[in-house]
Amino acid sequence: MSATAVASPASPLTGAWRRLASQEALLAVAIVGLAIVVGLINPRFLATRNLADILLGNAYIAVAAVGMSMVIISGNIDISVGALIGVLATVSGSLAVAGAPILVSWLVPLVLGVAVMAAQGAVVAYLRIPAIVVTLGMLSILKGGLISVTGGKWITDLPQNFHLADLSLFGVPMPVIIMVLATALAALWMRHSPRGRAIYATGGNPEAARLCGVNPQRTVLMVFALHGFFAGLASLVYATQLRVIQSTTPQGLELTIITAAVVGGVSILGGVGTVVGSTLAAILIAEITSALVFINVSPYWTDAVRGALILATVIADILRRQRRAAQGWKR
Amino acid sequence: MSEPWETDAAPSLAAPSLQVRDIEKTFPGVRALSGVSFDVRAGEVHALLGENGAGKSTLIKIISGVYEPDGGSILVDGRSVRFSSPVDARRAGVATIYQELLLFPELTVAENIFLGHAPLAGAGRVDWRAMRAEAERLLAALEIDDLSPDQVVGALTVGNRQRVEILRALSYDARILIMDEPTAALTEADVTRLFDVVRRLKRRGVGVVYISHRLDEIFAIADRVTVLRDGAFVGAREVAGTNAAELVQMMVGRRIDNLFPKTKAPIGAPVLEARDLVRRPLTKGVSLTVRAGEIVGLAGLVGSGRSELAQTLFGITPSESGDIRLNGGSVRIDSPETARAKGVAYVPEDRGAQGLVRPMSVLHNFSLAALGAFSHAGFIDRASERRMAEKGVARFSVKTSSVDEIAGRLSGGNQQKIVLGKWLANNPRLLILDEPTRGIDVGAKAEIHRLMGELAAEGVAILMISSELPEVLGMSDRVLVMREGRLVAEFDRAQATSEAVGAAMMGGASSAGKAA
Amino acid sequence: MSAAIGMGVWRAPRWLKRHETLLAIILVIALIALGAFNDRFLTVENLLDQGRFITETGLIALPMTFVIITGGIDLSVGAIVGLCAIMLGYSWKTFGFPLPLAIVFALFVGALAGFVNGFVITRVRVPPLIMTIATLALYRGLAEGVSQAHSVRGYPDWFYFLGQGSLFGVPTQLLLLVVLIVVAGVALDRTTFGRALYAIGANETAARFSALPVDRVKLIVYTLSGLASGLAAWVLVSRVTTTRMDMGIGYELDVIAAVVLGGASIFGGSGTIWGTVIGLVMIQLLKNGLALTGVKGDATIVVIGVALILSVLIASSLQRRRD
Repeated sequence: MSATAVASPASPLTGAWRRLASQEALLAVAIVGLAIVVGLINPRFLATRNLADILLGNAYIAVAAVGMSMVIISGNIDISVGALIGVLATVSGSLAVAGAPILVSWLVPLVLGVAVMAAQGAVVAYLRIPAIVVTLGMLSILKGGLISVTGGKWITDLPQNFHLADLSLFGVPMPVIIMVLATALAALWMRHSPRGRAIYATGGNPEAARLCGVNPQRTVLMVFALHGFFAGLASLVYATQLRVIQSTTPQGLELTIITAAVVGGVSILGGVGTVVGSTLAAILIAEITSALVFINVSPYWTDAVRGALILATVIADILRRQRRAAQGWKR
Repeated sequence: MSEPWETDAAPSLAAPSLQVRDIEKTFPGVRALSGVSFDVRAGEVHALLGENGAGKSTLIKIISGVYEPDGGSILVDGRSVRFSSPVDARRAGVATIYQELLLFPELTVAENIFLGHAPLAGAGRVDWRAMRAEAERLLAALEIDDLSPDQVVGALTVGNRQRVEILRALSYDARILIMDEPTAALTEADVTRLFDVVRRLKRRGVGVVYISHRLDEIFAIADRVTVLRDGAFVGAREVAGTNAAELVQMMVGRRIDNLFPKTKAPIGAPVLEARDLVRRPLTKGVSLTVRAGEIVGLAGLVGSGRSELAQTLFGITPSESGDIRLNGGSVRIDSPETARAKGVAYVPEDRGAQGLVRPMSVLHNFSLAALGAFSHAGFIDRASERRMAEKGVARFSVKTSSVDEIAGRLSGGNQQKIVLGKWLANNPRLLILDEPTRGIDVGAKAEIHRLMGELAAEGVAILMISSELPEVLGMSDRVLVMREGRLVAEFDRAQATSEAVGAAMMGGASSAGKAA
Repeated sequence: MSAAIGMGVWRAPRWLKRHETLLAIILVIALIALGAFNDRFLTVENLLDQGRFITETGLIALPMTFVIITGGIDLSVGAIVGLCAIMLGYSWKTFGFPLPLAIVFALFVGALAGFVNGFVITRVRVPPLIMTIATLALYRGLAEGVSQAHSVRGYPDWFYFLGQGSLFGVPTQLLLLVVLIVVAGVALDRTTFGRALYAIGANETAARFSALPVDRVKLIVYTLSGLASGLAAWVLVSRVTTTRMDMGIGYELDVIAAVVLGGASIFGGSGTIWGTVIGLVMIQLLKNGLALTGVKGDATIVVIGVALILSVLIASSLQRRRD
């Protein structure tokens, strides 16, 4: 009956799909395109070993970006995740070295991650303290706590079976499997489950969400808890790839994760974005970092490129919203 | 089967879908509603009319469950109910469409309609196919054929977004739909389409409460109309049996008390001369003149563009074309600072959000617009600031324990005096007052009017925007009437009567009868 | 608390119930307690030394107070410190600027970085939180890129006077800080600029409608924030004798914690320089006290993080009780 029916019955939300798919398609094109361009300049970039390194070494960022995307979509932010990953990696390694069953040393970071993030989420959601303040404080608690507890000692002598990341399934290395699984499951859940849709509603228009029967506080708490889980998972992928775990928090990690989410299409103002996008963006950022080396640009420019990316994306997003608002939308 | 909101179970036949009786609602310091009764029948469009502050939005909030009434009763299908939250109201079949559309711009039409109550498939996941089909069904029910369920709402025009809101209400099986100023932001084409939708809702038996200031719309679409004024019920009429003049009289007519002793002030040279001012969307070529010592009243229905004009004259939304002359010299007012420098002052309509900084003290509010006058090289002269504030408090009879009292704690009338006083510290040549006595007590009103008279006698040119006709008629030397962004009439004091001004305010719909 | 906007502690005793006074009392108690615990603590020498360490954070905390009063925030200050430190070293070593010019250049870079923040915030209307997170990344990245992780050393002796010298027995940079504290305090308390800050933070719309130059004021505070970061960079390099690209990391925490602890509401509209100073001193005391009892340097940031969260929690629940 609808003269302008655009969707085939089978595909959901074609309109939204089309817009977001364009962001993801853009990213996929960029990933391939960049590879080609750099490969022309320096063919060694395309060596399997290098491409594998890019993917394996940065899969954990994509995993963490899944949780961060959820947080940002819900209208919040978190800058403590980098420190948390450092802490969880240390915890995991310490447990393994101390002789705990390997499964324990893998699961404890997950549980701890959920606990720490859920606590922050509760403060943000129920005590109405801005997320930036809570996570800024937590960042320093985690960072300082790590140093004071471990004294900066490195963890060596990790037992052989600790290295989950070295395993592979059907020839695919574990980090990639975890990354793909995490992204796919999260994407499906966020697209098809009412609770997942509630995240978009809470971030898109909290008052409207409330009137639709969504509980914004509970949604925010849930989002932070999930974020903690993915942070724990990321710390696992990260730690089990290392022979030596330094008891420090990787510098600037949270910024990279936020950049991945934002470049992946998550609007910093909330309400829109996908985890598929953030995973692709994480891969792209990793690729850019490697590419810089292969075209003889100092890797010390990586962070500047990352910073420029996030700034440009944010400004473009705000301008886009303003242009739309000028058409009579009140936001 | 008793739902949580039903309090007694004796339905009566042929009762109105929704009825409220003798509703009372008081907020601290303000009696918002006193003894208001209202009802809506199935398949009827019942318009609710009244100026700002008349109580319409409070009544609506009570019907939709946002507030609970202090007195009176609500009946749905003849059964007495109590709504302790909007969710209760919605479950009872009452849906509201607010001016601030509560939609999710990044989600699709279908998802906006069904968020929170989406059809579910196995394993608790959203059944997109069913949702889409339902959305199509709703679109068909209202014969909307140019909206697709898959479009992203943020890219839709305002008119279409509103239709999505209506569809959402329908998706909850709403039997009473409240529409608050639905056409405020719509184009004419959208308004026509909205009316089509409303007529189809009527045919489905939905009762519509239609709040609007636009009399021509009420005559086009409504079956009955109820007028509120100052929180009280003035009267209800069949639309077919009344006319615009009667409605306006009901809306704004009041006993004209002799509260406005307009002293004769000598009228001097023009202070403000504006020609063909244009500023989208609501200022469409306005020309006016205000002379020294003159009080020009600017009348018009809400939404006619008066505040927008004032804010253009004051530099908040500078004009896109046209020119302004102040005291004979041509000026370009591109910011409030420029306006102030040229001697223009503006007392805004919304004193809480625009006029006062409520957490700050009376003292600091008094000096806020004139800091330059109390400072040397940027340093505030606290002694002279305090003196000025204390003088102001005395001159305007502001009731406060001290100038250090927090402004937000004062009553409305006293707050308004502070806003007025802060601008007078600048000795403006042109004073623009936007609803200067709205929502304040009689005593404060009289004082402000007395003050206006004094200022005029001192040679200040005053442009007074007001929705209270008696105030306009009583205070003004000349009355201008705005309608839909243009000046449509001008009256001298002698010629200005309630009927004449009221007729000009409504413009073309001065004859009775509604379109079929 | 908001009622006491800038109405200095030197007014009538009824203001004794203010946040700042309470804080000052706690400060005195803490001083005495720490002094009792550790006899090295309450020596003039130690306290003056602490004054040296407080300066870098303190310089930035002054305009940060302004920023937070207007309801904004600036997370990029640490990165600007790093960037300016690099610019100082590199323009001298690599571009060949005479050192005084290099110093001025570094300050200019800081002001420019702040100006960019302010410009985008006021013209493009990107929310301050988001803008300064993005510039945090960009400015830090630029510092790394320009420096290529090389440090700069070997400054002439006169250069170290600011960071390591003393005037009349007081560390030079502390004197600088004290002067600027007075300037900032007076500006906030007694000038039209300061009054405008409070108005903007309490009700920006009403501030605009009162013909205050809101955008210009905001632009100024963010520029000052960047400039102060540049100044802090100069002091820092002068104190530690080298320029490194990882300078300033984590400064934003200390600065924001000091301002919030000092009584400024994170939502804007209230706060004073005196409160910020007390907050600064308390944080430094904490650090020093902990260090003297053997807790390692980095671990002290745990305490600061806790202090930040607690003070916002307490302020927020007090505000709720008042409403």
